[in-house]
Amino acid sequence: MNSQTTISLIIFVPVLLALTLPLAGKISLRLRNILALGLCLVPLLCSLSLIPAALSGKTVTLGRELGLGINFIFTADALAVFVACVSSFISTLIVVYSFGYISHYHNQNEYYSMVVLFLGGMMGLVFAGNLIFLYLFWEITAITSWRLIGFFRDKYVVERADKAFLVTVFGALLMLLGFIRLFQETGSFDLLVIKEVVKTHPISNLTIALILAGILSKSATLPFHTWLPDAGVAPSPVTALLHAAVLVKIGVYVFARIFVATIPLPINWQVIVPVIAGISALVSAGAALIETDLKRIIAYSTISQIGFIFLGFSFGNSIGVAGALLYILMHGLAKAGLFLCAGIVEQNTKTKDITKLGGLIKTMPVTAMAFLLCSFSVMGIPPFGGFFATFMVMTGAVTSGHIIISMVFLVGAFMTIMYLFRTFNMVFLGEPKAALVKEGSFVMVATVAVFAALSLLGGILIWWPDALAQAATLQMLGTIR
Amino acid sequence: MKPSVLLLPILIPAIFGALMFILPRKARHTVAFLVAGINLALAIALFRNNLIYSFPWFAGKIEFALRLYQFSGFIMLSAAFFAFLIVIYSLNFMKGKNLQNQFYAYILLCIAMANGAVLADNLLLLLFFWEGLLLILFGFIAIGRPGAFKTATKAFIIVGISDLCMMIGIALTWMQAGTLTISKINLALTPMAGFAFIMLMIGAISKAGSMPFHSWIPDAADDAPLPFMAFLPASLEKLLGIYFLTRISLDMFKLAIGSWISILLMAIGAITIILAVMMALVQKDYKRLLSYHAISQVGYMILGIGTCVPVGIVGGLFHMINNALYKSGLFLTGGAVEKQTGTTDLHSLGGLRFKMPITCACFLITAASISGMPPFNGFFSKELIYDAALSRGMIFYLAAVVGSFFTAASFLKLGHAAFFGKERNELKAVKEAPLSLLVPMIVIALTCVIFGIFNYLPLNHFIQPVLGARLEGHSYAGFHVNIVLTLITILVLAGAFIHHIFMAKLKGEGLKAADDIRYAPVLSQTYDLAQKRFFDPYEIGLKGMNVFSRILWAADKGIDWVYNSFVPGVSYGVSKGIRRMHTGYYPVYISWALVGMFAVLYFLRK
Repeated sequence: MNSQTTISLIIFVPVLLALTLPLAGKISLRLRNILALGLCLVPLLCSLSLIPAALSGKTVTLGRELGLGINFIFTADALAVFVACVSSFISTLIVVYSFGYISHYHNQNEYYSMVVLFLGGMMGLVFAGNLIFLYLFWEITAITSWRLIGFFRDKYVVERADKAFLVTVFGALLMLLGFIRLFQETGSFDLLVIKEVVKTHPISNLTIALILAGILSKSATLPFHTWLPDAGVAPSPVTALLHAAVLVKIGVYVFARIFVATIPLPINWQVIVPVIAGISALVSAGAALIETDLKRIIAYSTISQIGFIFLGFSFGNSIGVAGALLYILMHGLAKAGLFLCAGIVEQNTKTKDITKLGGLIKTMPVTAMAFLLCSFSVMGIPPFGGFFATFMVMTGAVTSGHIIISMVFLVGAFMTIMYLFRTFNMVFLGEPKAALVKEGSFVMVATVAVFAALSLLGGILIWWPDALAQAATLQMLGTIR
Repeated sequence: MKPSVLLLPILIPAIFGALMFILPRKARHTVAFLVAGINLALAIALFRNNLIYSFPWFAGKIEFALRLYQFSGFIMLSAAFFAFLIVIYSLNFMKGKNLQNQFYAYILLCIAMANGAVLADNLLLLLFFWEGLLLILFGFIAIGRPGAFKTATKAFIIVGISDLCMMIGIALTWMQAGTLTISKINLALTPMAGFAFIMLMIGAISKAGSMPFHSWIPDAADDAPLPFMAFLPASLEKLLGIYFLTRISLDMFKLAIGSWISILLMAIGAITIILAVMMALVQKDYKRLLSYHAISQVGYMILGIGTCVPVGIVGGLFHMINNALYKSGLFLTGGAVEKQTGTTDLHSLGGLRFKMPITCACFLITAASISGMPPFNGFFSKELIYDAALSRGMIFYLAAVVGSFFTAASFLKLGHAAFFGKERNELKAVKEAPLSLLVPMIVIALTCVIFGIFNYLPLNHFIQPVLGARLEGHSYAGFHVNIVLTLITILVLAGAFIHHIFMAKLKGEGLKAADDIRYAPVLSQTYDLAQKRFFDPYEIGLKGMNVFSRILWAADKGIDWVYNSFVPGVSYGVSKGIRRMHTGYYPVYISWALVGMFAVLYFLRK
């Protein structure tokens, strides 16, 4: 099987076959579940099979000229392969968890087809080598996330889903304007062509601002962030998918694709972006310290961590960019674990209010330990993976000479430790405030344990993910700067 | 010896520590004992060797570099010595306690991390092990008595925050030095390098437990299992913290006498000595009293190293090892008392000297050492520090001497209340501690005596080689300290003794001997506030953080208001206005169309 076929399998298997899941569900639930898992495994395994080529620095392209300056191009470079592996891997585990979590609810057929379509949209976006296709897949994820957030059909849930959709699509339309301006300025939607053109023609600030608005709205960064905590009304696997694996990572991925790999960020934006990210990281960390809803706390934590990823990407130096890529991986693993633990707690205790919880470690030891280990990774404590990612991101900022900005993020990191411990202590330790409930179902607990273990292994075996991140960095920056 | 042997002191304890979680109940004592013993044997075998071992780790340029030389060998040996004794002590002490598998796992993992941190020749690798100790710290305290997790969280947050500062310090150092290899870094003290130094120093002195990063230690004394106190805050963390402080002050940054950093270090040292010892003086609990001394003594080491003169650095390092000895010894006597009587509250102790004579003897020796009484080890290291402090400023010397006075006073009080005084009825049945508790105490007490009388042994073999050429051939071994200073010390100690006897007579019992200071005007109110944690930097920080977070929370809510109320409100308002225009009258629509057409034409003119 050549690499071109692999790429088309990664993208089109989930996108096209997702719609067959409801049919399969009519036949048998088991068949549908197996098919859903299979549709996630195909992109996962195919992305993994691209790693050797990516490590050696090769770029695989699949393309056809369509005319009108629009060409049908998918490229698999190390960056795309890295993000595709991370997203599809985490999504697959989340689908496994869903088998336990979602089995009590209505609309399961829609749920699985939307999740797979969501993943397919992400895959298409990751490999898209052309801004028009990027936008197309971007909107597929917007529509699917709207359906997924509104999974429970209560009125306020649907309103929250609408809010998420409106904010992200508003951003996406601004981004589309930005893409059109980019076309006017460079004469192409093809990222490789643009890369050549911008070497001689700098891009106007307005274009950058418009594209950035789209990115920030998708990645839930201040001032477009408030839909993300509100989206906590979705089922926990969905929130995990949105926060950890797919949705918010789309924004940072596109940032890396456009502003690191294609158009090097101009000097003034190298200050503006981290400042926005820093304020976003601080504000959301502060909100997480006050908030009492378990899922909203973790959601604010995601907003805060996304700030760190932007910090790593903004300066375009190799250690920061590689750190940001590792951050995507480590944060994805740990945050998915946190959300899924929250899902177990929420489903069994029927509450998300941490002031009404306590002492759950006695009856939910595995969930509690998984939550704690994932928290350590998010805090950046060795030997967990988050430590290396945090160190590299912070070092990237410091070595670029942005000391004050890195001090702001340092305060953000302090607050991360505080709010995660506050949450853990209130939920799992202390005196029980309500009747203690039993541990979650085996498949759910096993999934969170896997996420916790991977957060730990990711740190101990840091050189494996790091090798791919380094290859991606090398390709994006051209040379090690 | 192959350089790769350096991996053993890290891997062996780490692997067995991880296994400890799943080992059967019976095997774990033996395994813990054997691994601690093997580690000690390794440390002895490796001591005095010079080895370098490195291989590429990740990110292309970051190396997994280990370096064994005089200083790291010395710290590793001391850590292994204490770990071995603490394991022996715990075999009996922890009997019948819950979560023993975690306890032994943490001890072994702790050894692995400490060895790694000491051997690391790469700053990131050092931070990896250094910050990894955080997890162990948290776990160790959390397995204490119920509710200990609050203290564990406090410790984690305080130390975690300072470790993050250290991370920034490392990044700053990397930026300026262009390398992470510790042995290649040699930075002049520019303002930026000074900033890097401060950030690294925060990590070092916070690990050592200096003010203002101290406040979890007294709480841990109440909550954590006692061997933890004797192992981490009393010995291992001091060794590591002072080791790193020495490395950054001597090797990595060119610290000169009279530089502002030197003054800052001395000031931190002096303030820590005085404030912590003042708190120790008024404690009414055996372990809590000791824990404040664990803080206060760090002040001496930081003061000594901060002086930047060879005699001070030698004194600081000598004090580091001495303090580790007598402080862990003191904690172990406290553990023996706790084990045999069931309490460490000084109100319910008394007259144990006949019941527990060996424990009492060990206590006397270690207490005399910490008070700086000749000829015990503490005397010699303190005299060296006095000498250096005096050469840098009278105020630092005064702080150190006043600290000595209160140290002596508080140990007189402690000893009097616990071992002397009236024998209590409820303590009639108390027996001497079992052998496995006594052996570590006796070994430590004897070492205190040996390191005092034969002080050339530690000085010539462990400490002075660390400084090497800086000493310019001087040796501080033997008894050649300043006679005047020695006389002053003896006078101060005698003063403390007389003060104690007099006040104890006056108040009727030893425990109240320091009450004149406790209830002195001004001090009394200050003490009341301090006991309520009014001055606890952690509490202050939490309060400040809460206010800060409320502001950010309000900002977040403000932004959310824009989305939830403002934007929908505006859209409804606008659409309401537009709806009015849809009246259903053709003329109105036609006039709109005409207006639109003219507008288009206006734009298309030219």
